[in-house]
Amino acid sequence: MNTVPTPSPAAGAVPARAHRPGLRTLLAMVRAEAKMVSRDLAGLIVPFGLPLLILLTSASAAGQEEIVAGRTALDLFVLPLVIVMVVTMMGVLNMPSFLAYYRRAGILRRLAVTPASPMMVLLAQAIVSLLQSAVGIALAAAVAALAYGANPPIDLGAALVALALTTAAMYAVGMIVAAISPTPNSSVAIGLVAFLVLGASGGMFGGRDALPGPVAEIGSHLPFGAGVDALSAAWAGQPLPAGSLFSLAAATLVGAVVAALFFRWE
Amino acid sequence: MNTPTPRNTMIELEDLTKRYRTTLAVDGLSLTVHEGEALGILGANGAGKTTTVEMIAGLRRPDAGRISVGGLDPHRDRAALRQVLGVQLQEGELHGALTVNELITLYRSFYPDPRGRQELLQLVDLEDKADTRFEKLSGGQQQRVSVALAMVGRPRVLILDELTTGLDPAARRRMWRTIEQLRHDGVTILLVSHGMDEVERLCDRIVLLGAGRILAEGTVAEIVELAGTDTLEDAFVALTGQELFEEEIA
Repeated sequence: MNTVPTPSPAAGAVPARAHRPGLRTLLAMVRAEAKMVSRDLAGLIVPFGLPLLILLTSASAAGQEEIVAGRTALDLFVLPLVIVMVVTMMGVLNMPSFLAYYRRAGILRRLAVTPASPMMVLLAQAIVSLLQSAVGIALAAAVAALAYGANPPIDLGAALVALALTTAAMYAVGMIVAAISPTPNSSVAIGLVAFLVLGASGGMFGGRDALPGPVAEIGSHLPFGAGVDALSAAWAGQPLPAGSLFSLAAATLVGAVVAALFFRWE
Repeated sequence: MNTPTPRNTMIELEDLTKRYRTTLAVDGLSLTVHEGEALGILGANGAGKTTTVEMIAGLRRPDAGRISVGGLDPHRDRAALRQVLGVQLQEGELHGALTVNELITLYRSFYPDPRGRQELLQLVDLEDKADTRFEKLSGGQQQRVSVALAMVGRPRVLILDELTTGLDPAARRRMWRTIEQLRHDGVTILLVSHGMDEVERLCDRIVLLGAGRILAEGTVAEIVELAGTDTLEDAFVALTGQELFEEEIA
């Protein structure tokens, strides 16, 4: 057998201070994620197409009758619903399925042996996904304004606050989906169920008035219904409902805690 | 036997143990690898080779024992360790929709002083595939990209798990020349392999694992002598067979 040389410390073998990848790495990751999304445009048909379809089929029926302060049913109900739909589809369906695929394929595992933190992958994913949401919302708003004469919200600041809270809540729900889904297929299945439950109870299929009382009440406190209510209030220039804001904040908190407890990198 | 030149210890495993439910994958493994040394890890399937290198890379936590890589603990000193470690995993995908160039650009952004893009492409002989998407490459070409990415950060320690699996003979030889160059540059290499010719050519020393324990350790000549055979392959069969026999008796 070989004689083992006397071991001695590997002085200078490792850097005295660890270089931590920063903004340059994050930007490189965002660019990489964006390129991948741009090469898979088919994946955007549903999150962009379905809300547009709802907009096109509901806008004419909403009519031009003024309801409050020069705003029509299109402004107060249809557009907030369509915006929340875009955010829900991106946050609850699209983003978790990407993460589940990364985990399944071992991409997160491969990155885990580099200086790049897997958390950075998550951040890059979230940034690109949020950009996609922004494009989807801009698309829906442009179609609503140009084709149907939709009006902007009376309180733009409140609308942006409501949108930010709704987005945070939906992505938090999406992180729960990503955390508990063992495979990409199960992620789509769980995400779809979550989307339908949130959407149906939040008035996506004809308004919460048509739902049984307890279901409508629960729906108004889930992120979809709370988001629609908050955006509607902003469009009408009314104060954002405290109950909706509380529900959205609570959903964000619960989602973050559950994801932190159960999310697996591999 | 040549008297080895004393060198710094780069990797030190002490009584390392890892269990998966009822299976003891690594059983009290102790091992020292010196700076600039190329160590081959051989063993039958399920011998604990991949689990061992995954623990060294910080991908798995040992149930017991201690790991030191250049004085760093793979979990406690995770950030510092990843600056000096290059890993090519047996399993571990890359972003399929990105081209080879884009993957190299992405991985270069992780390190303060990365190798040049062209240098990496030349090292793995993929200059003509730079603009091809990873998912469109053959298995062997994908393997070469994976090795290139393991070398991006100029690692001091390189872990290669099944380096040439799926490569044709010409590509294997090209890859071997690359690894020989890295050895020449003083990189410490852990090579997990099933290829006897590969470890004979590339490694200073070999560790033969069976059931998570070291069955034999030494140079090729020493292991062949220990087994009383003519070749490393015969020694491998003889020594792992001996292990099976012992287990059956137990």
